[in-house]
Amino acid sequence: MAAFEYAQAEEIRDAFSSHGVRYLFIGKSGAILLGFPDTTQDVVLFVERGQENGEALVSAIRELGFALSPKQAAEIVSGKDFIQLKNGPFDLDLVFAPDGIERFADAWSRHVDVEGFPVCHPDDIIASKAATNRVKDRESLPRLRSFRDNWVRNRP
Amino acid sequence: MDDRVGPSDEQQWIDEFEAAAKRPLRLRVRYAFIKTYRPVLDDEPFRAFDTMEDYRRWCETNLPDWLGYGRV
Repeated sequence: MAAFEYAQAEEIRDAFSSHGVRYLFIGKSGAILLGFPDTTQDVVLFVERGQENGEALVSAIRELGFALSPKQAAEIVSGKDFIQLKNGPFDLDLVFAPDGIERFADAWSRHVDVEGFPVCHPDDIIASKAATNRVKDRESLPRLRSFRDNWVRNRP
Repeated sequence: MDDRVGPSDEQQWIDEFEAAAKRPLRLRVRYAFIKTYRPVLDDEPFRAFDTMEDYRRWCETNLPDWLGYGRV
C-alpha cells in the first residue's frame, strides 16, 4: 500500500460530507493539515459517537472502498473507543474517545476549518497526545507545542 | 524525559514552520505522509478496542518497543 495522498483526504472530506458524518482530523495527521511540518503514516479521525453518526460513518467508509463485514460495521456503529482499518485503499484509525478530550462537542466548538477539512484545534491535538503519555508522543510534543505557539501568533 | 529545547532548536523549528506555511496544502500532505511496514500493527486488516485503555495495553503487550507505542 502506498502512502496516503491529498486526493484521498479529499475523498474522505467529500464522502463524509455527503453522508453527514460529524468528525475531526486529530493526531499528527490533523496537525499536518494545520501546517505542522512532520511525517506520519496514520490518518486519525475523531468521530462523534452515536447511532445515526455511526451508520453514516459506515456508509461513507464503505463508499471509500473499505471492505467491512457486518460484524465490523456493527462495531463501528456501536462506537468502540478505537478502531484500526487496514482493509481499504489507505490505513485509517477511528477514535471515538481520544485521551485528553472530554466530549466531541467541546472539540467541535474549537475546531479549525482548513480548506474544507475539519481539524481539531492544536490545543486539543496536544492535549490528546500529552494524555496518552506514549514514548513517541512525548518525543514530538515539544516541537508540536512550539508549532502551536507559532500558529496562534500568525493565525489570520 | 527532559522536554527542554535550546533556543537554536526553537529557532530552527520556527523557520521550518514558516517555510511549511508557504507551501500549498496539497504539497504539505505529499511531504508528510509516509508508508513503512510496522510489524504486528500492520498485520491485521481490522481491530476494534472497547476502550482506549484496552488499546494502550494491547500495544504495550504486542508491539515491539522500538515502535514507540509504549507508555513512558
